[in-house]
Amino acid sequence: MHSSITNVRLAGLAVSTGSQTRDFIADGLALGLDRVMLERTAQTIGLRERKVAAPGITALDLCEDAARRLLDAAGLDASSIDAVIFVTQTPDHSQPNNASLLHGRLGLATGAAAFDLSLGCSGWVYGLQQAALLCAHGGAARVLLCAGDTLSRLTHAKDRATDPLFGDAGSAALIERTGLAAAWHFELGADGAGANAIIVPQGGARMPHDSKPLTEIPDLDGNVRHAANLSMQGGEVFNFSLRQAPPAVAAVRRHAHYTVEATDGLVLHQANRFVITTVGRKCGFPAEKTPSDVVERYGNQSSASIPCALIHAFTEPLSARSLRLVLCGFGVGWSWGAVAAEFGPLVIAPIQPYPHSA
Amino acid sequence: MTSSEKLQALQADVDVFDGATECTVLASLPHWGSLAVLLVILHCETRYGSVVTGPQVRGCKTVGDLLKLFPKRL
Repeated sequence: MHSSITNVRLAGLAVSTGSQTRDFIADGLALGLDRVMLERTAQTIGLRERKVAAPGITALDLCEDAARRLLDAAGLDASSIDAVIFVTQTPDHSQPNNASLLHGRLGLATGAAAFDLSLGCSGWVYGLQQAALLCAHGGAARVLLCAGDTLSRLTHAKDRATDPLFGDAGSAALIERTGLAAAWHFELGADGAGANAIIVPQGGARMPHDSKPLTEIPDLDGNVRHAANLSMQGGEVFNFSLRQAPPAVAAVRRHAHYTVEATDGLVLHQANRFVITTVGRKCGFPAEKTPSDVVERYGNQSSASIPCALIHAFTEPLSARSLRLVLCGFGVGWSWGAVAAEFGPLVIAPIQPYPHSA
Repeated sequence: MTSSEKLQALQADVDVFDGATECTVLASLPHWGSLAVLLVILHCETRYGSVVTGPQVRGCKTVGDLLKLFPKRL
């Protein structure tokens, strides 16, 4: 689905990460795995460190911290926000939604809208499109978009195909109505037939948590997980990414009339370096325009990975001027979202761990 | 491409297959696993422009079975 939305701007970005550092090699050695094998995997996939949330810290906490730091940096009062959108797959509760909880924590004006989007790695682009629509056509002058997850809580420590990949983070972005701004061109899509390739089977209404002990099941490679763990078919996820991301990127570039040469950067969901470099190459972008080192410092941060990569790779130029960027997220739900737009200058609060004292 | 040429190409891209023959059982390779499956998928996509799936690769018993998944022509 294509949409072009005019008269909106990205006004600010912030990301708060988990405060605890996990080392890929050290964790593997602690499980008794072979160092050579670990180093091979680290080199090929691009795994080094990741930041996970301290016990008791949730995506809501991380996003609240990011939002407060962003509002401070921008010199804005929370009462100026007309709507808050919260993108997450790891909400504090099944009810109420995280957006309403954040609305209360930040003290937004009564009457400011609040809703969640249940999406992961594609979610920031979906959320950006919704925020832009609210500004362009929905009566909002300023929208707070928060996106984040604590996926490290969903993986089994002995699932080496999944557990080492994920870091925890929360992001905050401000989207504002403005005049005379060039259009943002979006491409959103999904292929629900493949949605079960990334799944946490237990914990929803279909298979609720119960009092029975969870059965740990090993796979062909000796990885272990149970029904309440995140399960991901790596090969299928890789093929899906190669199949869907490049056409979406090409479509938004075509609508925006962005050549590769005239585009300042392609920011892909930071799944891992292996996926980023392969998808980036297939999109026709040189490696120097496709940041891929965020994941080696923070891990795969789900819906917070694109804003984190924007801050990590483009803080200086984005703070000073406008950049032509193409962003693309892809993942859970077999969903994808791409946008081509001019972003900046904007307020950026630096990437920080939360709690700050840790 | 002959099977021998396909094997040479595979070995050039994925060092998991160093020293392997068409008869080598995949499970006997020291570094066979989920990472190797990803590398095989990438090899097929970049060398042949063709898609093989994780279950297809997992369904192969020997290196020779794997080579049969790849197209005959580049």
